[in-house]
Order: sequence, then structure tokens, then C-alpha cells
Amino acid sequence: VPEHQPDLTALGQRVSAARAATEARGETFYQGASGTLLAAFPPIERWDDWVELDSRAWPERVEHHSMLVPTTCFNCESACGLLAYVDRQTLTVRKFEGNPEHPGSRGRNCAKGPSTINQVTDPDRILYPLRRAGKRGEGKWERVSWDEALDALGARIRAAIVEERQNEIMIHIGRPGEDGYTERVLASWGVDGHNSHTNVCSSGGRTGFQFWTGIDRPSPDHANAKVIYLISAHLETGHYFNPHAQRITEARSKGAKVIVLDTRLSNTATHADYWLSPQPGSEAAINLSIVRHIIETGRANWAFVHDWWNWEEYLSACRPDLPGTFEAFQEAMTELYSPFTFEMAAAESGIDAAVLAEVAEVVAGAGTAFSCHSWRSAAAGNLGGWQVSRTAFFIAALLGAVATPGGTFPNAYNKFVPKPIHTPPHPHVWQELSWPLEFPLAQNEMSFLLPHFLKDGRGRLDTYFTRVYNPVWTNPDGLSWMEVLTDEDKIGCYVALTPTWNESAYFADWVLPMGHASERHDTHSYEQYDGQWIGFRQPVLRTARQRLGETVADTRQVNPGEVWEENELWIELSWRIDPDGSLGIRRHHESRERPGEKLTVDEYYGWMFEHSVPGLPEAAAREGLTPLAYMRRYGAFEITRGEGQLFASEVPAEELEDIAVTPTGRVYTAAPLPESPDICPKGAPEGDGTGRRAVGVMVDGTVRRGFPTPSGLLEFYSSTIAGWGWPEHAVPGYIRSHVHPDRMDADQMVLISTFRLPTQIHTRSANSKWLDELAHTNPVWVHPSDASRLGIARTGDLVRVETAIGHFVAKAWITEGIRPGVVACSHHMGRWRLTGHDHVGSGGMMATVDLTKEPGGWALRPRRRVAPYRSDDPDTMRIWWSDTGVHQNLTFPVHPDPISGMHCWHQAVRVEPARPGDVHGDVAVDTDRARQIYAEWMAATRPAGSHSPDGTRRPTWLMRPLRPSADTFALPSGAGRS
Amino acid sequence: VTTTAAQPLADTTGRFELLRALAATTVVAPPLGLAITEAAGLPAWSPELHTRVFVLELPPYASIHLGQEGKLGGEAADRVAGTWRALGLVPPADADHLGTLLAFYAHLGEASVAAATDAARSRLAHAAAAVLFEHIWSWAPGYLDAASDYPGADRWAGLLLAALRREVEHAARATSLPAGLPAGLPAALRLAPAPLTGDIGYPELLDALVTPVRTGFVLTQGDLSDAAGALGVGRRRGERRYVLSAMIEQDPAAVLSWLSAHALRSAGRHRRNIDEARETGNGADDVTTGWWAERAASSATVLASLAAACH
Repeated sequence: VPEHQPDLTALGQRVSAARAATEARGETFYQGASGTLLAAFPPIERWDDWVELDSRAWPERVEHHSMLVPTTCFNCESACGLLAYVDRQTLTVRKFEGNPEHPGSRGRNCAKGPSTINQVTDPDRILYPLRRAGKRGEGKWERVSWDEALDALGARIRAAIVEERQNEIMIHIGRPGEDGYTERVLASWGVDGHNSHTNVCSSGGRTGFQFWTGIDRPSPDHANAKVIYLISAHLETGHYFNPHAQRITEARSKGAKVIVLDTRLSNTATHADYWLSPQPGSEAAINLSIVRHIIETGRANWAFVHDWWNWEEYLSACRPDLPGTFEAFQEAMTELYSPFTFEMAAAESGIDAAVLAEVAEVVAGAGTAFSCHSWRSAAAGNLGGWQVSRTAFFIAALLGAVATPGGTFPNAYNKFVPKPIHTPPHPHVWQELSWPLEFPLAQNEMSFLLPHFLKDGRGRLDTYFTRVYNPVWTNPDGLSWMEVLTDEDKIGCYVALTPTWNESAYFADWVLPMGHASERHDTHSYEQYDGQWIGFRQPVLRTARQRLGETVADTRQVNPGEVWEENELWIELSWRIDPDGSLGIRRHHESRERPGEKLTVDEYYGWMFEHSVPGLPEAAAREGLTPLAYMRRYGAFEITRGEGQLFASEVPAEELEDIAVTPTGRVYTAAPLPESPDICPKGAPEGDGTGRRAVGVMVDGTVRRGFPTPSGLLEFYSSTIAGWGWPEHAVPGYIRSHVHPDRMDADQMVLISTFRLPTQIHTRSANSKWLDELAHTNPVWVHPSDASRLGIARTGDLVRVETAIGHFVAKAWITEGIRPGVVACSHHMGRWRLTGHDHVGSGGMMATVDLTKEPGGWALRPRRRVAPYRSDDPDTMRIWWSDTGVHQNLTFPVHPDPISGMHCWHQAVRVEPARPGDVHGDVAVDTDRARQIYAEWMAATRPAGSHSPDGTRRPTWLMRPLRPSADTFALPSGAGRS
Repeated sequence: VTTTAAQPLADTTGRFELLRALAATTVVAPPLGLAITEAAGLPAWSPELHTRVFVLELPPYASIHLGQEGKLGGEAADRVAGTWRALGLVPPADADHLGTLLAFYAHLGEASVAAATDAARSRLAHAAAAVLFEHIWSWAPGYLDAASDYPGADRWAGLLLAALRREVEHAARATSLPAGLPAGLPAALRLAPAPLTGDIGYPELLDALVTPVRTGFVLTQGDLSDAAGALGVGRRRGERRYVLSAMIEQDPAAVLSWLSAHALRSAGRHRRNIDEARETGNGADDVTTGWWAERAASSATVLASLAAACH
């Protein structure tokens, strides 16, 4: 090296060595700007003391020192990573930003993530346990201790269990935000009391996927797709919004085409290459016209169909007239879908046939890089909506785009649920109020029918919990909910576990404060790409104090007021139900390390991360951490990536013992099921009746894993649907909606109510002031041609929307973003509190209303709009809006789909200018009429008692949250149509 | 490809790691990146200097130095992005940033070294050479000369120039390249706008003076401040074209003479770079640097004649 020249080799080696040494410590050598270019994430080695300048102190240089603690967002179900900035001086959370170490969200968040700080500092939040002091719903409360609440509830639940009234205990979950903890609590009590909101949310979408793959959610690999096909009100209607949006953006930058079917011009539709605005309910017809096009133009992936569809079963069951050859199946398929011409789909959807043909050609060109999703929206809106998701996946299955790069995966491939420290046995009871005989194929609990079942006298509830859930507001026919919640004969004790006041909690006996995203423990995993990860939600102040050397044994020590987390609550309550262990409950909540003592959350998650998350102990060890410490530090861990077509993987020889193979290739084995640390929900195909279990399928002479369906294959033909009384829907098809034009009167329009606004998530987000400022009202979208026809002069004019059981009054928004003949109104809005209940509620979003029973039904009338008010937060004096919309869901009768059980949200309505005396936000409901509509829809069911092929209530292979023991599946004696 | 991408360390000499470290310096603002500068034996950057050089006065984008208008983006940026696309990759948002280009080059170089087959090695080496000659060496020497005028940035600029020179020489000797060193000029220089001429109009002259590929030299806000101070003319606040205009209107002969000298200085630096490369054995036939030297010298002559005409 010449004297005046640097020794480049020596310098290069020095840099390499420095990098290696830095990374060996688990630190980042090349810190700084991320791939997003919009943000430079703090490198993890500086998370203990991250310094930022106080922008408000400028031009002074005032430093903020923060400890950055990861957690998981608790608003929608995407489980995006958050980083809490904990002030080192005050040990309070200053703000939330994205967690760059999270493999799903990758440091990005939607508006709801950072708004978590509003929820934490919400001046209206509930901070202490409360017991009602007057009559139910009277609005009088007294503060009590947690011990008083737990003792009372523990005694009540113990009595119910001892007296074998297990079915009088129910926990009704809103958005879970966790993977199975609550289900296991109920299992430990021996109670089949898990109830969810899913049948007013995603059951319709799930059903279509479940009947194809045995797994009830799709996982589209959007980032690598050539064509992205969304039948969603807005990016899968809120679920997955941020993780999927960022991957769709990536795909678009590589030239992918985005096709959105949405009657309303959603934010997603505005970004689409093709926006199709169909007549609501016609989506399956469009899907099938695309199927027909793919077949007719020779673009079907017949090799994939041959290997992985149960086509032989279809021929045998439906076309015994044909030879059992694949060629015969191809011909039968072609014939079966030949009626679905573009002209037919155009007639149903109102979209020009040439446009449909162009879209079909784009789809057909995607090959195996076709990602699709159908969630809520059409699948949740229509009678037979489950056929929308079924026909969407049909396209993927026909293209062979199943678990391929850019294709659509079953979600269990891309989700991981770690096995916990204790696994209680299946309950030995069956909850008829959630799983009635009329709906043997229901995807989830028939939760929205609960008030009607209670009114029918099918049972009563002794202790009913709602957990971060607001059934009066969320469900259709909410005033029927209110009627049963205020009837102590039907619900003996109502406990609302909630961080904030809501329209249901007003009627509770106990209101117990729960934590937000930074105040509770949970694990959570979601399908967002071809990989599996788990996220960890944690009370960030607890972790911050532990980093400073403090010991925190109870999350209430660090949470505001006496706000608690559910994990510790359920452990404590279970001990009070079974203090001496004689009921066999306590053992499921005991420490393994210290037998006879309570399980702690540290032990619960420490055990899980040590034993049930492959690769995590090793990754932690490389950094000198325990697995729990690793998760507390990083907040997430990626377990697998790029697993691909797991269904095609070969079954290991040790699992093949004394196998039996059916003529259609289903393989059963005598080998026991190996232990798996992953307990992600999926279908559970039955054995062969001789003690062998289903293990795979024979493809080309090799036993491959297949799908968790009865046939082990993708089920084009569902023997389950056929066998349980619905043979006409055994293959993917088109069911005309209850709001099909043929079923409506000439003066009726379709009302779409299923869409969300990107910045809100039901009532859960409504205590976030930033989000409330962004979105706080829900006008009725009306096309200009309809406005003209109906005499609605301008945007902002009041309209009266009449449903089958009542009406509501809202403001009109005249826009070409909606199809003529259709109106739309978002939920999230129309929050209310009762006159005289001024000390409860959410000041920025709840109007004060009178709710009165009049001849002909209930009347809800706003008396005071939202206005600035004084609180701990000066921003409440800056509220500039008064319009918080209308609570339209109250006016919807229940519409249970007889197969999926999904509530079919779309309404046939009449719209007119408001009448004299109408007030914005008015709601009128006749709950007696609601009972009649309920009865009409129940009459369309085909109950298990008269249609079960095998004497059971429900096909045992279908997924079911909190599955009871096998013996409970038998039909009760005398079962028949109710 | 980003500066933070985990790379296999097939590069036992640290050749590519050094380039990656010097690339990271352009994108990682202090106080981050101290470990990088320390490992590379460079003084720590102050936040103020880092912002002044890489954000305010000398943003390191190929499109500014090779584009026909001397501005960010446009055809010059698209040409750089085209390299990613030609390799089947998605161009990053800042594809023509010096940091991105160096990291990309290091990535390709490492991949070439680690390639399992001769064919793959040759393809990757060829791609790396294309990135080097077309998109880095085509403008970086002039940029680095300009950067070396900032005290505190000079050692980084000198080290990076030396490291790039080594890469040019390495490529010239490489046997894995199908055709060795590219014989002609990079596309951006082949398609460069015509040099200054004596009959140029005033608005066009102002445009040209802030377009490096037109004049052959880089003119920064710091240069203009120096000129204003040296010539005793007022320096008005604004973007460079406006500042120049205001200075020329005050004393056209002096300012144009100063610009001529500035151009000559740039030409001299380019020639010295060629000489030094020959002295240290990196004697590649560097037509690119020769082009810049010639373009700057030509501009110096035209500017001198314009200055003389003002007297």
C-alpha cells in the first residue's frame, strides 16, 4: 500500500469484524433508515434509553428519555406490533408507534395503533370495579373492591357448576385479540359457555372456505400475487387492514392487478384497477362466470384439480350416469357451470358483460399467483352469502393457486397457536343456546339469536359475562337484547368486562375494568403472508419496571386505577370458584413449579415460549435471554417462513402404521397422533370407525398430508352439506339473496350496513379522540338518481329509512360512489347514553337519548348532541362536532342463514325524506314484529333432529370453538324441529 | 437490497463490507452510525455537517449529476431503476441514491463471489460491473471531489474515492467478466447534452450552471457563498439558480471569471485523479473521468470568454 493511500483491505476487515461483533450481541450494525424510507426505527439496542428532542420545547434542546417496550395492538384482529414509549422519569406511556421487529406489521400501523394512547388516557374510561346500586339500567353505581366482586361471582358460578347448571354460565367475546385463553378457562370450569360475535361478523366468509379446505380462513399471499381479488367492503373490512394493505401495495408496485367487488366505492376500491359495483348478492354469480371462462378458455389447472379435488366423490354421488374418469368430470364441470355466462352474470349483477369478460380474462391470466379474500361484506350480507367465499376460493382452486407464491393459503399454514401449560378436558355439556339443533352446520355460535332463544324459554342464564363486547349496540335487533338484559328471570347476573362504557354495560350488575393494548397479556398470531409468527401483548409498564429491577406480581400494580388484565382475573376467579380444588378446576390454574400455588402469568407464558414455540428458545439463547425475556424484549417471533404447499408434504413413515386406504384415496392410520406444539384450529376429520385416524391422502402412490376435510382433499363436492339436508348446495353455486330484486317490492331498496370506516373498529375504538375527530358520523349514501327520484334535494337533508321492524332517521350523502337502487350506512356510529346517565359514557361520541316504550314499540330520540366538555383532557373542550350519526342496527331484524348461521345483514328498506317532527338520530323499533321475522327465518332451517344422517347434532369434523366431549354430540332424545 | 440487508460474508477481505459501510454513512444520520465510522477509521460526523452535505447542499443522487436538467428524478433516475428491473428486481424508492447504489453493488459483488457456478458468477459480476460503470463511477468522482471541500467530509470522500478506484481496477482485471471493462462511455454521458458554447443565452446559461452533466463541474451553495465572499458581491437567499442570477447581475465579469476558475479547478481535479490512479497501479483506461475533465475544461474556456465579453 503506498504511503499516502489508505489500506483498504485492513479497513475492510476491520469493518467486517466490527459488524460481526455487533450482530453477535444481537445489536444492529447498520442502524437507521428502514426500507419504508418514511421512518427511521429506533435500533433495538437503544430501546432501554431512546432519546428524542421535545418538539414543543423548540428552540430549546430538551431531551425525552424513553424506554421502548413492545406490545400488540388490541383494536382490530390484525395483531400489529406497537412500541410503547415509556417515559423514564415518570414511568408513563408517552406514545405508541410501530414495532419494527414485528414480522406481520413490519413497523407500520394504521391510525388505530398510535391512537391507543387515547384509550389509555381516555378521561371517560372505567378505572374501578362497579356494582349497580339501583335497578338494572337505572344508572346508579357504587365502587367496590375486586375481592367483593370476585367472591360474589365465584360463589355464584360454583353453585351453578355444583348444581349441574353449567349451561347457565356464558362468556360472550367481542373481538378476541388472543388465541384461545378464554376458551380454556371455560373448559377448566367444564362449561360449554363460549359465545362469540362471529355470526354477526365473518361466519359467512368462513363457511365457504371451511367446506373447501377444512380450515375456515384464507391467507392470501398478496405480496407475490399477479391478481388480487377482493370481495370486501374495505380491505377485508378492517381485519388485516394494515398488514394486507402494505403487501398489496408491494404487489401493485410489481405490476399486480387489484380487482375489488364492492357495491360501494370504498377506499380500497379507489385504489383498484377494476372496481365492480354489483347488485348486492350477485357476487357468487360473477365468480361463477369467471369459473366458466377459465374452463372454457382452457386455463384451468387440470393437473392440480386431478390430484387435489374430490372429483371422484362428486361423480359417484351426483353423476353416477357418467364413467368415473377425470375426463368425465371435466365434462360434467363444463356442463354444470355453462349457465353462468357473462350475460347471465350481467343480468344478475347489473355490470356490463364486456366488463365482466375483461375482468375474467385478467383473472384467468393470473395462473397460480391469484390471491383472493372474501370477508364480511357480501358473505355477511346475504342469504347464502357463504357461497360468495366458496365461489371465490373456487377460482383459486381451479387455477391451482392454493398455497403457491402469490396464491391463497389455508390460514392454519400461516398462523401458530402455541400449546399452553395446561390443557383442560372437553366439557361434558352442550350449550343449546349457542348451538341449537336448527343450525347443525353453523360455523359459529348463534349468538345474535340469544335474546330470542331466552324469550322462547329455551333456557336461562345465571351468570352472563360480556368481554370487551357490546351486544346491544353491535347485534341486529339490539333492543331485544336490552329487553332480556333487563329481565332478571332470563339473565340472573350480568357482568360487563370492559375498559369503557357501552350501551350494554349500562344494564349490567357488575362493571369490571379491563386493560387496553398496553395493559394486558395475550399471545396472538395472524395469517398475513407465507409464514408463521406469534405476537406478545404485555402490560408495558410492568415490563418497564421489571427492566428497572422492580418486581411486579400483579398487573393492577402498574395499570391505571384498578384496571386489570383478563389472564390474572380468570386465574383468580377460578381459584375462588374452586378454593380447595375439589371441583377439579383449580389444578388448571396452578403453578407447575410450585404445586398448590397460583399460576402466574410469567410462568404461563414462560412455559409456553420455552416448550411450544419452535426456534424461540434457541433464538433467545443466542442473545443470552430466556424465551420469555426475548418476547418481552422483541414483542414477536417468526417461527416459519415459506412453508408452501403443506398439503402436498409426505406423511412421515412413523405416522403410517397398519394403514387403510379408501377407493378414493383417503388414508387412515393406526399410529397415534403425534404431539404438536401448534394447536391452531382446523377441521378434525373422523376416523374410519376401526380405531384408525385420518392421516392423509394417496396421491401418485405417496401418502401426502392433504386437507383436514372428510375426503382429505379440496372438497368441490361436500358430502357434509349434502348429508345434512342441503343436497342442492353440495357444490359451489349461486343462492339468490333475500334482497334479490325478485324478492323485494318495487319501492324497496337494498341497504348495505356491513362496511367499516378505516379509522374505527366498532365501539372498541370510540374512546380514541383522534379517531373520533376523523370519523364520527354515518350518513346514508344515496345515488343522485335515487335522490332525485325520492325527492332528497341535497346532501345533509334528513331521510327516514324504514326496515321490516322500524325506522331510523339519518342525513343523506348524495354520491355517485354507490350503485343506483342501493343505499349504504356504516356502522361504528350512533352511540348513545340514556338521559340521566351523564356520568357514564364516551363524551366525544355519545349523544344523550330518551328511550321510551310506546304503543307500537320502542322510540329512541336524541336529546342532547355531543358538545365540548370539561375533563382531565383539555382536548375535550375542543370537540367541534355534534353529529355522531344514528344507531341503525337497532332497526334490523335477525336474519339467520339456515346453513352458515350467519346473520344476513343486508336490509330491504324504503327510503323517503324525513317527515315533519323527525329528528336526526331517531330510531323506532317494534320488538314484537322482530319476533315474527325471527320465526319466519327459523322456519327455513332444516334441524338436525330431522336431517342428521348419523344421529348427531353436528358433523364432528367441522370446526367448533371450545369443542365439548364426543358424547355430547349425540342428538338428545326426542329432538326434532323446535 | 438495503444497507441493512443481512449478507453472507463470502468477502473475506472486507472489500464489499467497506463499501457498504461507506454507503451507510450517507443514509444513517448521527448519532446513529458511530460504530460504522469508527470501524472505518473515520471521524464521527456531526448531525449538522451530515445534514448539510447529504440533505441540503450535496444530495447524493445520480439523477442530479447525470440528468439533463440537474434535478432529482426523471429519465436519469429511471435509467438507474431500469437496472433493478433488468435483473428482475423491484427498484427501491431511492434507487439512484449513492448509498443505495453502493449497497446494491456490494450485494451483487458478494453474490458473485459466493456464486456456485461459473455462469452465475459471470452473470452477477457483469451486473455488478454495469452498476459500477453506468451508475456510480459515471458521476461519483465529481461528487466526491465536491464533498471533499467540506471539512469533516473530506476523509470519507477520499476513502470512498479510493475504494471505488480499486473496484474499477478490479473490474478491469476481472476474468469473470465476459467482455472485461466496458470500452465506451456510460449511457448517461453518451447521451449528455451539448457542452456550453459562447452563444448560449442567459437563462440557458443559468440552467446549465446548476447541471453538472452540462458543465462538467458541481456547484454547491457553499461554492456560491465562497464566491460571494471572495468577489464582494451580495449573496441573496434562494435556490442556486436564483443566487447565481443575483450575483451575475451585480458583477457579471467577476462572477463568470470565478465560475471559469471553478471549472478549471474541477478539470484539474479529474486529471489529477487519473494521474493518481496510474501512479498507484490502478491504471485503467478511465474514459469516464477523462470525459468529465474535458467537459469541465471546455466550460472553463467558454465561461472565460463570456467573462471577457463583459469587460
